[in-house]
Amino acid sequence: MVDSPPSPPTDPAENYLVLLNEHERALAAYVHALVNDRLDAEDILQSCKLVMWKQFSQFEPGTRFLAWARQIAFHQILNHRRSAKRKPLYSAEPAFLEAVAAEIDRGADSLSDRSEALHECLQRLPENQRRLVLLRYYEDHDIAAIAKETARTEAAVYKLLSRIRASLNDCVKARLETTTA
Amino acid sequence: MNFHDHIDRSFDGQLSPEEWEALQQAVIDDPELCREYVEKRWIHALLEAESDSLPALLEEKQWVRPAPSTKPLAWIAAAAGIVLFGASLVLFFHGRPAPVVATLIEAENCRWAGSDLPTVEGAGLSAGTLALTEGMATIRFASGATVTLEAPGVLEVESAMKCRLVEGSVVADVPESAHGFTIDTAHMEVIDLGTRFGVTTTPLGNSNVFVFEGEVKVKQGDSPEAKHVFAGDSLVGDVGSQADTAHGDQEVRRSESVPSPGDDWTPISTAIGRGSDAYVRRGDSHGPTGGHPLLMVKHTELAANNERRAFLTFDLAAVPTGAPRDAKLTLKMESSGLGFSSLVPDSRFAVYGLVDENAANWNEKDLLWSNGGPLVEDTISQATARRLASFEIRKGAPNGLVEVASDELTAFLQNRPDGLAHLMIVRETGEADKQGLVHAFASKEHPTAPAPTLWIQNAPLK
Repeated sequence: MVDSPPSPPTDPAENYLVLLNEHERALAAYVHALVNDRLDAEDILQSCKLVMWKQFSQFEPGTRFLAWARQIAFHQILNHRRSAKRKPLYSAEPAFLEAVAAEIDRGADSLSDRSEALHECLQRLPENQRRLVLLRYYEDHDIAAIAKETARTEAAVYKLLSRIRASLNDCVKARLETTTA
Repeated sequence: MNFHDHIDRSFDGQLSPEEWEALQQAVIDDPELCREYVEKRWIHALLEAESDSLPALLEEKQWVRPAPSTKPLAWIAAAAGIVLFGASLVLFFHGRPAPVVATLIEAENCRWAGSDLPTVEGAGLSAGTLALTEGMATIRFASGATVTLEAPGVLEVESAMKCRLVEGSVVADVPESAHGFTIDTAHMEVIDLGTRFGVTTTPLGNSNVFVFEGEVKVKQGDSPEAKHVFAGDSLVGDVGSQADTAHGDQEVRRSESVPSPGDDWTPISTAIGRGSDAYVRRGDSHGPTGGHPLLMVKHTELAANNERRAFLTFDLAAVPTGAPRDAKLTLKMESSGLGFSSLVPDSRFAVYGLVDENAANWNEKDLLWSNGGPLVEDTISQATARRLASFEIRKGAPNGLVEVASDELTAFLQNRPDGLAHLMIVRETGEADKQGLVHAFASKEHPTAPAPTLWIQNAPLK
C-alpha cells in the first residue's frame, strides 16, 4: 500500500489534485511564512490554488511541483501586497520578501519535511504549553488577550511563546536528523 | 540591536514599526540572519497554516493524524465551475498516503496473523497493527527507537514516537534522539527517559515494565502521577484486581478445544465436578489465586519470591467404571506477561501426584504458599507426592498444547480411592537472569483457552 503508489493518473484534474494534496501543507507554510497577516495568507492561498489550476497545462510533468507552486504563490503575494486596501501591521518590503523567499527555496527540502515532525513534537509539549499554543494559534488571540486569560504579564506570555517555538524547532530538527541519518 | 529577539517578537506583533523596518533591512543585508529568520519563521508558519488541526494534534491520549482541512472544499466548489470533477476525486483529500513511521528491520522465523502492515524484512510501516504468532521481529521507528516483539504478540504502530502493546512482550532500545518514546498498554503508559527496557502485557490486563538500563516513567490508568522506574527495577501491574475486572467483563467462552484422541477417551477438566486449580507464589503477594485465569510456574535460585508451583485437582467421578487403561494430561500454554523468554533456557517441568491426604486437601479459595505445608517444601518428599512424569518446553516455543503421559501417571490414576486426582506442576529448570520467563498455563477460569484436562482411556469393555 505504501510502497506501490497508484499509477500516474492521466486525467489532468486528478493529476493536479494528487500533486496538490501531496504538497499542500508545505505550500501553506510557504505563504504563511511570507505573509504576516493570517487572514491575508489564507486568501492568498485560495487564489493561488485557482491560479495554479488555470495554469496547470503549463506545468511540466516530472519537474518539481512544489517549486512551481512556490513561484506562483510568490507572485500572488506580491500582487496582493500591491492591491491591498488595508495595510497590515507589518507590511513587508519586496526586497525583504525576495530575500526570505530565496532562503526558503534554498532550504526547501528540509523545510517541507518539517510538518510531520512538528506533529510528533506537539504531542510532547507539557499541558500548560499546549494551552498556550491553542490560544495563540487556534483561537488566534493576541498577546494581550492571552495575558489576561492566563493571568500572566504580556512579557511573560511572549517569553513563554518564544520558548515553545524554540523547543518545537529543536525537537523538529532533532527528529529530522535521526530520520535522515 | 538584538535582532535574534526581534525575529520572535515580529511573529507576535511585539515590534514597533521602526523596529520592523530595521529587522527587514538587517535580514536583507545579513544572509546569516536571513537563515535564522526563515528557520524560526517556518515553525510559526506551520502552526498558523495548520491551526485548524491543532486541537486534534494536541489531544493528549492518542496520536491523531490531522483531519484533512475543510478549507479546500471551498475552492473545489469554485474550481468545479471550471472543470467537472469526478466525485471520487474529492476523496483524494481524505486519502493521503499514510506516512511511514517505522521500518521492519528484522523478521526471523516469523509467522504473522491478522497484520494490516507489510511483514517482509525492510518494509516501511505506517500506523497499523502487527500480529506475530511465531518468531521475533525487530522494528526501528523513525525516531531511532528499536523495538523487538516476541511471539506471540500484537503491536500497534502509532507514530515514530509511540506504539501500543496489545499483547505479548517487547524489548525497547531507545537512543538519546528518541527520548520520550512511549509504549502504551491497556493499563499503563511507559515513557522512555533514555534506556533499554522491556514491557509485557497480556490480554487479561497485567502489564509489567522491566528496566535494564536507564530510566522510564510509567503512568497507570487515569492516575496523573507518574512513577519512575530505574535500571534493575521493575514495575508490576496490578495483576489481581485488574485481571479480575477484565475477566468479569468477558463472556466466558472456550473458543479452542483439545482434539479428542479417540472415542474411548474421556476428558475431565479441572472445571468439572469437584475439580479445582490454583498456583502459589512464595511470599503470597497476590493472595489466593484460585480465581486467576492463569496457572503460573517458575523456578529460580535468583529471586526466591518468584518461585511458583501449580496445583490441579480432577474429579474422576465422570469416568465410566473400570480402571483407566491409559491417561494423559493436556495443558494449554499461555503468555504470563512476566519475564522474557530469551532469558530462560529450554525448561523441564515435573508432574507430581499427591499421596499425602492432608496435603491433597487444599482448597483453591485459600491456598497460599504460607499454608501450603509439605506442598511448598524445596525438596518434595516421597510421603507427600510421587514424581509421575516430566515434559520440556523449548526456549521461545509457541504457546501450544502440552501433552504429558507416562505409565506412572496411569498407575497413579488407577488407584485413587477418594475419586480425586491431585497433581502438582513444578519447573525443575532454573534461570540465568531473574527476569526470566514465568511459564503459564490456562486455568479453568481462562476465558478462551481450554482448562487443564486429564484424558482417560477406559479399559476395553468385555
